[in-house]
This record gives sequence, C-alpha cells and structure tokens, in this order.
Amino acid sequence: MIEFRNVSKVYSNGTHALDNVNLTVDKGEFVFIVGASGAGKSTFLKLIMHEESPTKGAIIVNGMHLEKLKRRKVPFLRRTMGIVFQDFRLIGKMTVYDNVAFAMRCIGKKTKTIKKRVPYILELVGLKDKAHNKPSELSGGEQQRVSLARALVNNPEMIIADEPTGNIDPEMSYEIIELLSEINKRGTTVLVVTHEHELVESFGKRVVRIEGGAVVNDTKDDDVMVAI
Amino acid sequence: MNFSSIGYLIREGFKNIWSNRIMSLASIGVLISCLVLTGSAIMLSVNVSTIVESVGDSNVTTVYLEDDITELEAVYVGKSIEKVDNITQASFYPKDEAILAYKDVLGEEVFVNMSGDDNPLPHAYHVVMADLSQYDKTVEQLLKVEGVNSVSSRSDVAEKLTSLNTLVTMMSFWIILALAIISLFIISNTIRMTMFSHRFEISIMKSVGATNSFVRTPFVIEGVIIGLVSAGVSIGALALLYDAVFKAVQNILPLDYVPFSDVMWFIIIAFTAAGVIVGALGSLLSIRKYLKKEGNEILGW
Repeated sequence: MIEFRNVSKVYSNGTHALDNVNLTVDKGEFVFIVGASGAGKSTFLKLIMHEESPTKGAIIVNGMHLEKLKRRKVPFLRRTMGIVFQDFRLIGKMTVYDNVAFAMRCIGKKTKTIKKRVPYILELVGLKDKAHNKPSELSGGEQQRVSLARALVNNPEMIIADEPTGNIDPEMSYEIIELLSEINKRGTTVLVVTHEHELVESFGKRVVRIEGGAVVNDTKDDDVMVAI
Repeated sequence: MNFSSIGYLIREGFKNIWSNRIMSLASIGVLISCLVLTGSAIMLSVNVSTIVESVGDSNVTTVYLEDDITELEAVYVGKSIEKVDNITQASFYPKDEAILAYKDVLGEEVFVNMSGDDNPLPHAYHVVMADLSQYDKTVEQLLKVEGVNSVSSRSDVAEKLTSLNTLVTMMSFWIILALAIISLFIISNTIRMTMFSHRFEISIMKSVGATNSFVRTPFVIEGVIIGLVSAGVSIGALALLYDAVFKAVQNILPLDYVPFSDVMWFIIIAFTAAGVIVGALGSLLSIRKYLKKEGNEILGW
C-alpha cells in the first residue's frame, strides 16, 4: 500500500519535482503512472524507494512512515518491494540463476531456501531453460523477465516497474505487462511507470497521470465520478 | 546472519582479492614493507632497552675510603655506609682483592711490589642503590660519612644508553605511526578500487534491501585477508632478517642481544592484530562514502 499526503519535493538545486501530491494505491491494485519525462515520475519512485526524502508531507509505504524512517530500517522497506528497471540491471558475469539468487543472498536467505525458490520463480516467468545462460545471451524481453524474476523472488508485497518496456520490442512489451498482470492477480500490488500510452490504454487498468509535478488525472477518480 | 550468508560473504571477499589481484598484490607488498620496517624498529628498540637494563643491573657503585683507613676501621665505616638512605647493600672490597684485577696488566714483577703493605689502592665498598635516579643525592650523603674519600662516578655508558633508548623509542613510535597511516591509505585505496568495480552490484544489493553491514562485509573481509597475508609474510621475513643481522652484529659487538624467539609471540600477535585492524579500518573508511549514496548515485549516473 502506498499513501502520499500533500507531498512536495524540492531538490537542493531548486527544482520543484513534486508539488502537493495526494495519492493512494491500495493493496492488490495495478496502477500505471504515466507522464512525460521530467514530469516527476522518477521522483515519485525515488520517494517510494526512499532514495529521496520528501521536502513536505507524509508518505506511507507498506505500513512504514517514510518521512521519519531511520536509515537502518531502509533495507527492510526495500524488502517489501521488488524493483524492475528499464535497463534490467542484470549482472553480466552471473548466470540467470545467479542473478535471481543474488537478490535472496543479499537479504541473508539460506542456500537451501534459494535452491528451492529460484527455479520456481524462473519457471513462473518462463525462463527455466535459460537458467544457466548469461544475460548477454538473452533477448531484451527475456532479460526483462529475469529482472522481474529477481524482483519477485523475495516475495514482495509490491512490484515497482520503472519503464519496464522502454528497452524492448513492442510485442515483448505486451508480454511483460501481461506477466505483471498475472502476478497482480496473485495479490501483489503492481506499479508500472511508463510513457507508452497505447500499451496503457489496451489494458484498462487504473492510470495516474503526472504532469509538472502534480497528479493531473487519475482514472480511479473518474470511476468515482461515474458512480456518482 | 546465518551460515549460508557468512560462507557466501567470505567467498565474495576472496573473489574480490582475485578479481583485483594486481592492486591486492601491490598493497600486500607495501604492507609487508611497512610491517617489516615496524618490526625492525621494534627489535632495535627492544635490544637497546635490554642492553640499557643490563648495564643498569650492574649498577654497583664503588665507595673509596680514605687511604689511611685500616681494615678494622673500614668495618665501622661500612656500618655507617649501610645506614645511608637508598643503599640496599654494601660489601667490603679490600684493597688486596682490588689489586688482583690489575695483576695481569701490571705483570708479575711490578705486582709483587704493589701487593701487601705497598698496595697503593684504598679499601672500598661496593654499594647497590635501590633507586638509581636518586644517585646524586645518595652520593652527597655517602661523602658525608667519615672515612669516605670518594665515590665512583655513574657509568657514562649507562647514561648515554638511557638517552639513546629514549631516542630510539621515540623514533620507533613516529616511524610506526607514519607507516600505519601509509598502510591504512594503501588498503583503503585498494578496497576503493574493488568497490568501484563492484558499484553495479552494490546498487543492486541496496535496491533489493541488503543491509549496510551485508554490503560492507565482503570488502572488510578483503581488507582483513590482505592484512593477514601481509602479517604472515612479514613475520617470516622479519625472523629471517633479524637472525642474519643478529649473527652479523654479534661478531662485531658482542652484547646480550635479544634472540628472536623471545619476542616471537609478541611479534606474531602484534602483526596479526595490526594486519586485521589496518585491513578492516582501511576498507571501512572507503566503503563509508558508498553506503551513504543511493540508487543511481552509486553508479555515478
């Protein structure tokens, strides 16, 4: 669950990245965050991951109040979310298996647990056969699925995908969003940041549009309006 | 942290050394030089103070009595000498015994003329002082005793050695300090390079929720391994080097040098501790700034 209450972010160089943002994403939702580059999407994500702190306002993510989160608690916040990057961020010298296992190693999981969990997740994203390949031997779509497997492997409450389709073919993009949608059906909250309107429209999920650092449109509100 | 993690982190530490082997080797080399120099400074300091102490141990001062004092009178003077503060022991040193020391030098013929009643030496007492630093005051008191003519002056050698000892100790201290700082700098630089080449992994580790201590551990282990390897080689090198120097110096200036085995355990413990501390501290210093960064900052984007 994500809750932004009157959140503003001004960077030390004076850039107003977000201006009085109010937004709630409930557990189990699938939300697209759209907006042009420079609209404030990246800042929005950085605030959720606590790479940045808000200048004003309150942020609650998975039950943690980020504006007063202690430094040593930050890793535990990040364990509640899986992050998928536009550029995949896979470690080139590790195999697909090791890349996924790495995320489990990093949070101190036992080797036995890792050996059970990683093949299961790789099967889920359809990469069981590629477990021992290096990322460079895979297509863009496959690499993104490895990245997704890594995000999922620690069973997070929420998946955050930052332009997950930015570096891959359109057909593959569709596949990735399908996969995310599948994961969402199992109860994981999914947040996808993208600028690809067509893709967003074809799925009919909740869309939050950010422009100039503010939420200018939220399809959830539209639903409410329609209901009224 | 469980056993799987510990095993994993130690393996990562070793991998870091291997993947950065040229720099690791270079820093091991520098560290060995620093440790051997430090060890040499310690050995020099230990030897100088031992020699100074052995000279100090023979801190027997000779109290000469007046020429005309007879052996019987000397016994009474002796009683007075014993009563002087700071004197722990006074043993009579008759002139007949004193002259024997010169027997070889004088030759039989001259010696015969100088022994017995013709002995030109006065009777004396060998006294031992409890506290040598009170030397001047005690001598003043001794001279007041009736029948005492003079007191032998404190050994110049002892005095010079004491000041040499202080000098060597001071110099060793500064040398060791300077070398420690250099070692720290070298190790932290090496680790910084490993860390730079691992910045991508570090950024991923942080994004999946690795704690700072988890991110830090392989680098600390890398530093500690470098420190330990350096310590091991240095101990061996110092032992061999010292042995060679020991033998050479013993031939030129035979004194009671300290054999390496006497200080071996001290050196082993000190070097190992120094290696571990410098290694760990060096890596902690360089990783601190990485751990403060977030996300793309780590990658320098």
